[in-house]
Amino acid sequence: MSTSAGAAPPPGSIAPVARLTGVGYEINGRTIFAGLDVTIERGKVTAIMGPSGTGKTTLLRLITGQVRASRGRVEVNGQDVGALDTDGLYRLRRGMGMLFQNGALLTDLDVYENVAFPVREHTRLPEPLVSRLVLMKLEAVGLRGAARLRAAELSGGMARRVALARAIVMDPQILIYDEPFAGLDPIALGVVLRLIRETNDALGLTSIVVSHDVREISLLADWAYLLSGGTVIAAGTPAELDHDASPAVRQFMDGLADGPVHFHYPAPDYAAQLLDREVPA
Amino acid sequence: MSLFGEVIGNGRAVLAKSGSFTLFTLRLLQVTPKALRRWRLIVDQVYNTGALSLVIIMLSGLFVGMVLGLQGYDLLQRFGSTESLGVASGLALLKELGPVVTALLFAGRAGTALTSEIGLMGATDQLSAMEMMAVDPVRRVCAPRFLGGVIAMPLLAGIFSMVGIFGAQLVGVTLMGVDAGQFWSQMRGAVELKDVNQGILKSCVFGFACSAIAVYEGYHALPTAEGVGRATTRTVVSSSVAVLVLDYMLTAVLL
Repeated sequence: MSTSAGAAPPPGSIAPVARLTGVGYEINGRTIFAGLDVTIERGKVTAIMGPSGTGKTTLLRLITGQVRASRGRVEVNGQDVGALDTDGLYRLRRGMGMLFQNGALLTDLDVYENVAFPVREHTRLPEPLVSRLVLMKLEAVGLRGAARLRAAELSGGMARRVALARAIVMDPQILIYDEPFAGLDPIALGVVLRLIRETNDALGLTSIVVSHDVREISLLADWAYLLSGGTVIAAGTPAELDHDASPAVRQFMDGLADGPVHFHYPAPDYAAQLLDREVPA
Repeated sequence: MSLFGEVIGNGRAVLAKSGSFTLFTLRLLQVTPKALRRWRLIVDQVYNTGALSLVIIMLSGLFVGMVLGLQGYDLLQRFGSTESLGVASGLALLKELGPVVTALLFAGRAGTALTSEIGLMGATDQLSAMEMMAVDPVRRVCAPRFLGGVIAMPLLAGIFSMVGIFGAQLVGVTLMGVDAGQFWSQMRGAVELKDVNQGILKSCVFGFACSAIAVYEGYHALPTAEGVGRATTRTVVSSSVAVLVLDYMLTAVLL
């Protein structure tokens, strides 16, 4: 059985990596979060799931300090993210790696230089060492042979794998994945799934994975939060969520169009609009 | 909204934008010492903004010089002093046309390229990715491009003026029959070092303004195709106006 909405994972002796308490966030007058409570446990793979537009990526941006909460507190490694200045945020982010939805590779660099980028920016390692680091990470994602391809020459799935190599090249403590499974073929999907799990366990990292993919999350995550309507509607292990009987959870887990979560964006009455030949404003 | 309210609103928007641009420029200057340590990035940008603009600069310089030769000859022959064509075209190119036309061409060619490149980097999350890697995009992306433009502009203006003088000589001496010795000797006698320095100073100021505007607009472009397009247009318009206004101010001060 899943825990109550917003509840933290089973208590451990180690302090959580991130804790969001009563977080509110609005953009252009639209409320994205209203009293969000999320705890990310150290050493675990935590999944953030939910329908499109529920603010999953925004949640990641709050954790990384790319946006600031209007209310509540966002804590990462015990630091109040909202109170950090730019230098403080950069210090915090040095311990993080993030895989963006579209890869966000630097288009003026090739694959090798993209992966080497954070190493070159933050260290003065000799070139042979940089080369070994980069090749090891590229080998892990199966793209060592594509090292000299330009970012523009890669398919979407390949770009995502390069971005994954870049995210892990500095061996961060926290790895954040925004939709890591989108656009991957079944082979690459399996490799990425295994890579996230193995990287997390072997290096003792903490991983936060934002995804819609229920099947992949059930294979990967230790704990999952289901977001909807600006708050957490369910939390638990993937198995617990799978057996949760509440309508909103069932609608998401079973992929149903009808349920408490509206598929349609709020609109005037359909028939009336068609008959009136009204043009949407 | 009343006309008065609209004027107030627009005035506020202009002030806000000016303030934002000033703060951004100060930030660029603040990170410049760190950016200078990565000189290879700046050399790349001098190549991108300078070397890749050479063809258009040289071609424009040649034709501007040739037109200057024709018009100058037509004007000077009315006073019977066609031998002064070298001085007239030399001073016009070195003090005015070289820096100003180069800056306008730079804004159209290199400025738009800078804005759209940085704008697209924003639209494709590349700048966010850098921030997430604890790398300041202003230092890593904007400052080298800004410095590259500042360095490239005086070089381009110098090349423009040289090719322009050659164009004026081509038309004046070869086509219209002005004496080559008089053309060059009068120019050498009348054009002083301060005239050359004035042109260099102007092109440095224009390079600063055009490059700062281009990277500012790119960095603050809305992350959409339309947003990047609008930012690119703003770069050309703002840079062109800035160049002409600054040219008047500098000329008034330096004369």
